[in-house]
Amino acid sequence: MSKNLKKKKNKRPIEAISVASHQLKTPLSVIKGYLEVLISEDVGELNSKQKDYLNDILKNTQKMEEFLTHLLEVSKIERGELELNARKVDLKEIVRQEVEDFKILAKAKNCQLNLNIENEDKIPKIKIAPLKIIEVIDNLISNAIEYNQDKGEVLITIKRKEDKLVFCCQDSGMGISEEDQDKIFKKFYRSEKALSRLPVGSGLGLFISKAIIEKSGGEIWFDSEEGKGSTFCFSLPIE
Amino acid sequence: MKKYKVLIIEDDKFLLKLYSENLYRKGFEVISASTGNEGLNMIFTEKPDLIILNLILPTKDGFEVLDSIKSNSETKTIPVIVMTNLEQDEDVNKVKEMGAEEYLIKTKFSMHKLADVVIRWLYKS
Repeated sequence: MSKNLKKKKNKRPIEAISVASHQLKTPLSVIKGYLEVLISEDVGELNSKQKDYLNDILKNTQKMEEFLTHLLEVSKIERGELELNARKVDLKEIVRQEVEDFKILAKAKNCQLNLNIENEDKIPKIKIAPLKIIEVIDNLISNAIEYNQDKGEVLITIKRKEDKLVFCCQDSGMGISEEDQDKIFKKFYRSEKALSRLPVGSGLGLFISKAIIEKSGGEIWFDSEEGKGSTFCFSLPIE
Repeated sequence: MKKYKVLIIEDDKFLLKLYSENLYRKGFEVISASTGNEGLNMIFTEKPDLIILNLILPTKDGFEVLDSIKSNSETKTIPVIVMTNLEQDEDVNKVKEMGAEEYLIKTKFSMHKLADVVIRWLYKS
C-alpha cells in the first residue's frame, strides 16, 4: 500500500445524518441524470409541454440537492466538526470567477451585476479554504439577486482595510425589516416577506456562511433598510 | 476508426446504466464493474483507455482502487475520472494528490457533459 493511502486510513465517525444525506444524494443524482438526458432529447423528441414539465422536475431535484448539502453542513457545524482546508489563494480571482458564473442568473432576473476591486495591487493572497469561501460568496450573491427589485443592481466590492480583506455585496432589493434583522443568521429562519417572495429555500445559507467566516477568523455583518436594499459584508484576516 | 474503451466502476445499478448508455450512444465501448475488486481485475484483463471511478464502493473503496491504479507502472497512465457525491475539500485534495485526472460531483455534474470530459482526457493522454 502506498504512503498516500496510509495517511487516509484514519476512521471518521459515521453520523446518521451524513449517511442519510449521502444515501439520498445517489438517487437524486440518478433522477437528475435521467432528466437531463430526456430534456436533451437524446433518446427521443419531446413536445414543449413535456420539456417544460421535465425542467420543473429538474429544478426541484436541484433544490433537494441543495437542501441536503446544507443539512449535512449544519450537522457538522453543530458537532463542531466544520473542517477548513486552508491554503494561500487569490480571493480576487475567486470572486471574479463567481461573478462571471452569476451573470446568466442576474440577466434572467433582470438585474445588473457588477464588480469593483479597490487598489488591486494592495490585495495579497490570503490563507482560506477556497471551496468554503466560494459557498459564502455564492450564498450572498444569489440572495442579492433573488431578492432584488426589478431592474435593480447588485454591486460586489473587494477592498483592503488595514490587516483585513473586506468583501461586500450590495443590492437594491427588498431589504430586511427591523424585526427580522436580529434573526437573519439563525438556522432555518426565513422572514415572512422572504417566504412569500421565494417559497423554497433552506433558510440555512446565512447560518452556514456565518459559521464558515467565523471559523476562518473573520467577521460577517450587514446593513439593511426595508424597501431600499441590503449590503452584506465579510472580512478575512490577511495574515 | 478506433472505438475507445471506458471502464465504469460504480455500484449503483441505475447510475451505471445512465453513464453506460450515455457513453455508448456517443460511440464508446463501455465495460463495467460494481465493486472495487472486480474493477481492478478488469483493468488488467480489459486494458481500458479511461476509467470512471466512484469513491464509495463495496469491498475495496474507490480510494484504494485509485491508489492501486496510480501506483502500478502498467496502469498509472490510464486517465481516471472520479465521480462521487463526497464534497469535502479533504477528499478532493486526497484524490488529486493520488493522481486522479478529474474530480466530479455527481449531483452538480450535467450528464450532457460526460462525453465531453471523457473525450478531453482521452485526447490529452
